[in-house]
Amino acid sequence: MATPLETIKKKRAEAICRIISKGYLSTKRVYVGMATCEVAAGSKEVMEVFDNAIKNGLGDVYLSQKGCAGRCNLEPTVEVVEENKIPVKYGKINAERAREIIERHLKRGEVIEEWVIR
Amino acid sequence: MKKDDKRQYALILCDGPACLRKKSKNLEEVIKQELDKRGMADRVRLTLSGCLGMCDKGPILIVNPGYVIYGGVTEHDIPAIVEQHLINGEPIARLEINEDHLFNRFFRVFGDVGFFGKQMRITLRNCGIIDPEKIDDYLSVRGYEALAKVLTDISPEDVVKEIKKSGLRGRGGAGYPTGIKWELTRKSEGSPKYVICNADEGDPGAFMDRSAIEGDPHTVIEGMIIGGYATGADKGFVYIRAEYPLAIKRLEKALGEAKTHGFLGKNIMGSDFSFDIEIKLGAGAFVCGEETALIHSIEGSRGMPRPRPPFPSVSGLFGKPTLINNVETWANIPVIILDGADWFSSIGTETSKGTKVFAVAGKVKNTGLVEVPMGTTLREIIYDIAGGIADDKKFKAVQTGGPSGGCLPEEYLDTKIDYESLSKAGSIMGSGGMIVIDEDSCMVNISKFFLEFTENESCGKCTPCREGTKRMLEILTRITDGKGEEGDIEKLERLGNMIKKASLCGLGQSAPNPVLSTIKNFREEYEEHIKEKKCRASACIALLSYTITDKCIGCMACRRACPVNAISGEPKVKHVVDKTRCVKCGLCFNICKFDAIDRR
Repeated sequence: MATPLETIKKKRAEAICRIISKGYLSTKRVYVGMATCEVAAGSKEVMEVFDNAIKNGLGDVYLSQKGCAGRCNLEPTVEVVEENKIPVKYGKINAERAREIIERHLKRGEVIEEWVIR
Repeated sequence: MKKDDKRQYALILCDGPACLRKKSKNLEEVIKQELDKRGMADRVRLTLSGCLGMCDKGPILIVNPGYVIYGGVTEHDIPAIVEQHLINGEPIARLEINEDHLFNRFFRVFGDVGFFGKQMRITLRNCGIIDPEKIDDYLSVRGYEALAKVLTDISPEDVVKEIKKSGLRGRGGAGYPTGIKWELTRKSEGSPKYVICNADEGDPGAFMDRSAIEGDPHTVIEGMIIGGYATGADKGFVYIRAEYPLAIKRLEKALGEAKTHGFLGKNIMGSDFSFDIEIKLGAGAFVCGEETALIHSIEGSRGMPRPRPPFPSVSGLFGKPTLINNVETWANIPVIILDGADWFSSIGTETSKGTKVFAVAGKVKNTGLVEVPMGTTLREIIYDIAGGIADDKKFKAVQTGGPSGGCLPEEYLDTKIDYESLSKAGSIMGSGGMIVIDEDSCMVNISKFFLEFTENESCGKCTPCREGTKRMLEILTRITDGKGEEGDIEKLERLGNMIKKASLCGLGQSAPNPVLSTIKNFREEYEEHIKEKKCRASACIALLSYTITDKCIGCMACRRACPVNAISGEPKVKHVVDKTRCVKCGLCFNICKFDAIDRR
């Protein structure tokens, strides 16, 4: 019988496959902070904007929620991660800014410098 | 050049004590000069980081994207790194080291931002990175591998030994060596045994445990299962307050998924070890964070502490041996098992190993959740990570440890954070609350605030805490109301010391700390309140008085604003405040455009 270590290796491989099958290897990955504090700051609406955009045909983007990264005063936060680029972290994002991130950053590849967390 | 080409690379230079000793401070200058020389300065961002836990291979320089880690970097290597890696895009294999500690991932994503630079995330390693509601995400970052490892080839005795060797101490506040607690529970006779996760986080302004569970619930669960395996327990409880609905929801989801995957339940991962976890909701009493009170609460009785010994490790839940640890302590366990006790104990100070999470709140620019290696100074947290005092006000004090801790003034800012040095300075580590206070706050008022909290939360079992905190609060209220009497400070000190010595549990034993520490460090403020009836921060309303100065041009704005018609005066003539009618609401002070209202 497989040892627990062998089992866990298999499980990890399967987990990674499942994540990939959900589009993890897209060119861009978007993470929206969804801890209690972020939700209170309005991250649910932000999540909805991205979610709807993907449902309505925004392609090549992997969307995921994440826990608290610790930037309380800058919430809600959104990260855009691209392979071979430094991840971009946006702070104080609302629904309107989320739409702009979709238009400018996700579609045209332009980093919106004013909202980037330094 | 495209706009986003500007930030092409982020360099992270380790600024930890061990690397500093190897001259990495110099390196910063050399790198900057070299970047300037090659015209790369605006395309590369250089960040100094806290200890990266690779001290033996330092100085460490990390190049992002790609997360290439260079070790043993000297100033002679810099031109080659800039030329070959940053300009030509070819990493230098000879300098590369391939360390992949669990916490590195967080750094990979966030390390180039100053706020995170000095941090080191072990317990929060996945918080803000993975989706907490998907076990797949946790599995993909070596989740449950520590559990598999102990089940495959580490005996329970050796797990306990490893935890002991790591030097991990309880993160709930008291700092009791975790390994010894595990050993005691393991050796105690009795069956069944229990494991408890204390997630009853009650300090005002603290949210470490909530964030940890919300961001990465599986880590806590994995730690608890390992704890059960090591001590021979087969049942675990997470005691979490009902006012954390999202944390509870994610924990429930995580427990369900863990069960589906066979990490919980009978014969975990095919071994003969069985373990299950149940969530117990607390009603939010502060005293239930005390372990014996918490145990009473799980048993269904009123949450009240009892004298120790016997300690829970001997006689705990339902009179059985019980291992009880805080959320943060549990979250450290998988890392210690996977990365090893030797690595873990290389981080931190002589007596305190690893990292500590703090919820930094109050008057700082960047409030937030930070995790730093032990030995980081208060100054580094407040100024380097949290960005200093908001609105460029002056720093006055920092309060660590929540309502049980003390207020430390500026001269203690260079205190290195560990259990011993904080208590030597007159405060405590506590569970990780850190409230920064600026010049606009009155220390008497602050200590009154904390005492109000503990007085309210005192369970009432023992007299010193129940009656003592009430009397202390009466005196403090009197002082802030301008009715303080000669000798009040001494009374507070006597009462405070008595409560500390005579109380049954940690709540009472630490309740006077805010008062005693502010008396020690800010005695002159107490004296001003009592003798001169003056509050220098203008925070104690009863002590304020409003007068209108000659700057008044008679615009009538304050007269119209005053809700009790205490201001009289004709247009274009200086107005007057009738002090017998004034209720000190401050509306006139805020509305006056000519700075003509004097408040003192």
